[in-house]
Amino acid sequence: MYSAPDSHPVDLPSFHSEISMPYTLTPGRAAGTFLAEVKNRHIVGSRFPSGRVVAPAQDFSSVDGEELESFVEAPQTGTLTAFTRVQGDVIGLIRLDGCDNDFAHLILADIADLSVGMRVRAEWADGVTESILAIKGFVPAADAPIGEIGPLAETEEAIGVIPYSMTLPYEHAYGPYYGRMFDEIRDHGRVMGVRTSGGDDALLPPREIDDITHKRTGTWKACADTGTIRACSIINMAFLGQTREPPYVYAEIVLDGASTRLIHMIDIDDIESAKRQIKPGTRVRAVWTSGERKGSLADIERFEVIDA
Amino acid sequence: MGRHVGIVGVGQTHHSRRRTDVSQAGLVREAVNRALADAKLSMDDIDTVVVASGPVLFAAVNQPEKWVVDAIGAQGKSVVRLTSGGGAGFAGALAGYYQVAGGYSDRTLVVAYDKLSEGQLQYSISTLYDPFWGREFAVGIMGFSAAYWRARMDVLGHTEEAAAMVAVKNRRNAIANPYAHYKKEVTVEDVLNSKPLCWPIKMLDVPPISDGAAAIVLASEKVAHHSTGRPAWIQGIAYCCEADNAPERSLMLSEPLALASRQVYRAAGITNPRRQFDVVEVQEPYSCFELNYYESLGLCPPGQAADLVASGATQIDGDIPVNPSGGCMGANPIGAVGVIRLIEAATQVMGRNETHQIKDAKLALVQSGGGWANLRGCAVLSA
Repeated sequence: MYSAPDSHPVDLPSFHSEISMPYTLTPGRAAGTFLAEVKNRHIVGSRFPSGRVVAPAQDFSSVDGEELESFVEAPQTGTLTAFTRVQGDVIGLIRLDGCDNDFAHLILADIADLSVGMRVRAEWADGVTESILAIKGFVPAADAPIGEIGPLAETEEAIGVIPYSMTLPYEHAYGPYYGRMFDEIRDHGRVMGVRTSGGDDALLPPREIDDITHKRTGTWKACADTGTIRACSIINMAFLGQTREPPYVYAEIVLDGASTRLIHMIDIDDIESAKRQIKPGTRVRAVWTSGERKGSLADIERFEVIDA
Repeated sequence: MGRHVGIVGVGQTHHSRRRTDVSQAGLVREAVNRALADAKLSMDDIDTVVVASGPVLFAAVNQPEKWVVDAIGAQGKSVVRLTSGGGAGFAGALAGYYQVAGGYSDRTLVVAYDKLSEGQLQYSISTLYDPFWGREFAVGIMGFSAAYWRARMDVLGHTEEAAAMVAVKNRRNAIANPYAHYKKEVTVEDVLNSKPLCWPIKMLDVPPISDGAAAIVLASEKVAHHSTGRPAWIQGIAYCCEADNAPERSLMLSEPLALASRQVYRAAGITNPRRQFDVVEVQEPYSCFELNYYESLGLCPPGQAADLVASGATQIDGDIPVNPSGGCMGANPIGAVGVIRLIEAATQVMGRNETHQIKDAKLALVQSGGGWANLRGCAVLSA
């Protein structure tokens, strides 16, 4: 038996966040032409001045960077050069006949029936265009004759933009300092920081090392839920990922008893009155949410101006 | 002390709101081909390559340098990628400078780019906020930048009119710049009346969103003459940081820029920046930043930036022209901007700026930066 190192997983609650965005990617001329031509069931490749041919088409040779000389039509048959299984799918590298590169695609066969060097042939998907998945995958084709690279005089216009999206979920670990701060917010509705290494003002969010002195920070301290605006701007534009309807005020607030900023929002009626009423130095107070607190900054619904 | 390093070749794309005819790699290649041709070199002559770009979230390709080296024919060379938000290009140039100055390379290609038409700008930038502490309220970097401009109005007198003068000046200068894509003359009134986005920042205080790439070749003194008889010598370059949410962070003057300029001025023998520099190029993602940089770089004392711009001294025909290229107002492919500013300053001291040459320019100052306004750098270039 090996003795277990003291590194067993510690399973504390984590903070879930998600980054999710749409994109409009630009494939460039070669990949754009390949993607445009799959509807004609052509596999477009590039021929380079050196004579090398790669498929799917690329603008620049990954061997030496030379620019493509002409588009060609690659044959739909080739040889399997490697394969593996990923989450139930079989993925293989295929060298199309006459080409100088291998490319990855799905192999539509039982992995037990595959061997390196076997002949394969493209199988097309019905109704799929502008995607490499217009080729559904490659199937074993023992008798497939060796294909040849053919000329491709006319091509469809390259596709300029490919819509894409990405969603990235995260589970952030709080760590002891953020953990206690958010526990205090959830359980007691109070914002706690830690004192600077030599003073009484609290650092928010709390941290282990004082940024200025580079020494360990001091003891915990509850800050008030009132404070002073250090800086603010009036948000009057909409953008993806926004959590409030504009207009509203973005404010960096120093809570009473703290020395660093907390970022939050202030509701406003209109831009002109907000310009006059909300400025650096304005006193504000937190408005807590009425429901159950979750242990995040969103437990404070917003800040509001304390009337003078 | 390191070796002397010069910029011996430059190239940039004709920047655009959206380039659908090239991929990220194709865009980079255009700038690289121009820089190599300008330096009378081929990729075979290059020892090392630095690729710089903004956050990968801008265009959803992780480790884009792998794609880039294939497209520019740099297979087999030493390659590093650097990213530093808006200052990515400048950080890339600094890394390249260290390689040549340190004697590890005789010629280093630095290429920087972003293709901002592909992704979500404000959302991507907002991810630089702490996910626990403020990200849900973030407005890219614009909400934050506007907030501290508002604070500087009270303390330093950086008025809306003064920032509008910056926007007017840079937008006018951009008209002559062949690489700029936003070219429209505006008045101070137009800027003041444009739609508030993050007030005090208004529509015309904000640069366009751009696709673009820029490349420079850095060379040691030993080999620089193969490319040009008149390199732009880097007399000093630094990029400093400050703590993000520290108790004493005022954001009135830019502390990291003041630190960087102190280092660089000492190295370059600058004692009176206002009098000594012939031309200045700064990265002003919003017009208000240029006022902040006048003071942080020592072009005027704190609190006098509004007077400086109003005096006309920073106009293209003034005694200290700032952004004769038009700065970010003509094009803003974020990750590339640090290198674009270096190119504009380099061509000035090389005496071959295509359209807005400052007569007899010998000494130029370049500023760039990124992060949450907590990364700021500058460089001095000389003939």
